[in-house]
Amino acid sequence: MRNHSVGLGFFNSSERILNQLKDIHPLIPWVIAALFLTPLPWLVANSYQVFLANTICIMILLSVGLNIVKGFCGQVTVGHIGLYAIGAYTSAVLSVNFGQPFWISLLIAVLITLLAGLVVAVPSFRLEGAYLALVTLGLGESVRIFISVTEYLGATNGFSGVPAPRIGDFRFDTYEKYYYLVMPVMLLGVFFSFQILRSKLGRAFMAVREDPVSAAACGINVKRHKMTAFMISAVYAGFAGGLYAHMIPGYLNPRNFTVIEMVTLLLMVVLGGLGHIWGGIIGAIIVTIVYDITKDYYHYSLLLFGSVIVLTVLFMPRGIGGIIDRFISTRRFIALRSKT
Amino acid sequence: MILKTENLSKHFGGLHAVDKIDFELEEGEIRGLIGPNGSGKSTFFNLLTGIYRPEVGSRIWINGTETTYSEPHQIAALGVARTFQLLRVFAEMTVLGNLLVGHHLHVKYDSFSAALGTRSTRNQESSLRNEMMELLSFIGLADFAELYASELSVGQRRLLALGRAMAMRPKLLMLDEPAAGLSPVNVDNLLKIILGLKERYGLTVIVVEHILKVVMETCKKVTVLDHGQKISEGSPDHVKSDPAVIEAYLGREMQDEEVREALRA
Repeated sequence: MRNHSVGLGFFNSSERILNQLKDIHPLIPWVIAALFLTPLPWLVANSYQVFLANTICIMILLSVGLNIVKGFCGQVTVGHIGLYAIGAYTSAVLSVNFGQPFWISLLIAVLITLLAGLVVAVPSFRLEGAYLALVTLGLGESVRIFISVTEYLGATNGFSGVPAPRIGDFRFDTYEKYYYLVMPVMLLGVFFSFQILRSKLGRAFMAVREDPVSAAACGINVKRHKMTAFMISAVYAGFAGGLYAHMIPGYLNPRNFTVIEMVTLLLMVVLGGLGHIWGGIIGAIIVTIVYDITKDYYHYSLLLFGSVIVLTVLFMPRGIGGIIDRFISTRRFIALRSKT
Repeated sequence: MILKTENLSKHFGGLHAVDKIDFELEEGEIRGLIGPNGSGKSTFFNLLTGIYRPEVGSRIWINGTETTYSEPHQIAALGVARTFQLLRVFAEMTVLGNLLVGHHLHVKYDSFSAALGTRSTRNQESSLRNEMMELLSFIGLADFAELYASELSVGQRRLLALGRAMAMRPKLLMLDEPAAGLSPVNVDNLLKIILGLKERYGLTVIVVEHILKVVMETCKKVTVLDHGQKISEGSPDHVKSDPAVIEAYLGREMQDEEVREALRA
């Protein structure tokens, strides 16, 4: 009992300090997080684990974006991996075939992914649930199939030689250096997602998810908000794709954008917590690590991930994020009880 | 004139759900809308709020603006709030969140400054929350602010639906069977809240209701629909004694009673 209250005290005081910092500017906690994450490449065992950390950062961007459109706005899209592919290939083609520097090709890639996101948004005006899933699955798959039959994009051989990003003479050409590019971008992305989802825009997304008819009766333009959600998630996919393309070895293959990858991505969001603000982050970390540990048995990964999705939906519909929420509210409840 | 319809019709196949209704509503009025099941009351509401598109030749004006073919969110922007028969609260959002969504149109900051977390958006957001908490305590749900709407009882959800409509700061409030499924005590409580809100914010109200007590006690003027047509309009007493209404609505019950009495004798 005593230990328990000591734990509470630590929790509460750190929470209070964090809240005060947040009040100065909400970005500050994320800067602190960046400081904590800075020594990571020295703490891990080898370069491969830094690569894994980079992958996690990219997956966080991707799944946070997917959670906005799927978890918060309630639009069941299964074509997100297609947007990721568009971001990756656009950025790669622009720097290899058109000689653009990384920063410009990344921004153009994000812009093009955003436009593609608008295309995916159109069927969501009329379809919902499984029907929307089917159409978006088709759109996503057609992107992959288009890539694998287009010689210009390397077809099934893949697209290689994507240069590493550089600032002046400094090249992000090792996993360690690349980490200091993706980690800050990831934290910024997460920061913006928190800000957006906790504003009126995020509430409007949730209203559209819960009940489009009564959202409209509250003055929310449902179509425009669906479009906005798809656009924001596409921007995240574009950044993730671009960052993925330029990471060494700078090689893309349509095999990395299949339905299996999509299911993995879905699992991240579902396991982390659909519509939970931390959902995409928690899910991306866990699933990427588990995926890596079990990669020797990758023939079974679809079976494993599929069944985990089903079990999660059945037994913890709000994902791990929802369970943590319940823990926190219980803790608050205990704290309230012990005061009175 | 806050609301006016002319020749308003809606057909579903061969069924004339709403048939050539001319309807006028003065500002500050509280109007009852009654009629047997399937008489077109809810369809009428859905036409006014833009959920259904009316037939050619129909016209609707709200506050002098023609809204015949407007989208629901455009009509909401003119200051029209409504509740639904089946409530349609945002179940997986908090009670406070529901009200904040209702207040959506009055939130001034844009999403870019929200994304950047500027000082002014944060201040607006916190004053907004205080405002909504005030409204919550007026309707008596302040203690449940952080609960999910799905965790509330049906009676509390009815209040929440009303609160969400009020968070829109409407000029015209349209209530679709606000007392359905409530016990008599709760009905009285709800009436008090509705009248209180009307006084406090100077609202115009239309109430669709089955429970006649609600309509007869609160409304100065009542409109009666049957088979999609307006069959009577006037004070509650006038409507009660109108033979057309008795035949369409109240009458059948009375006749049954008469029949029963006759049988008993």
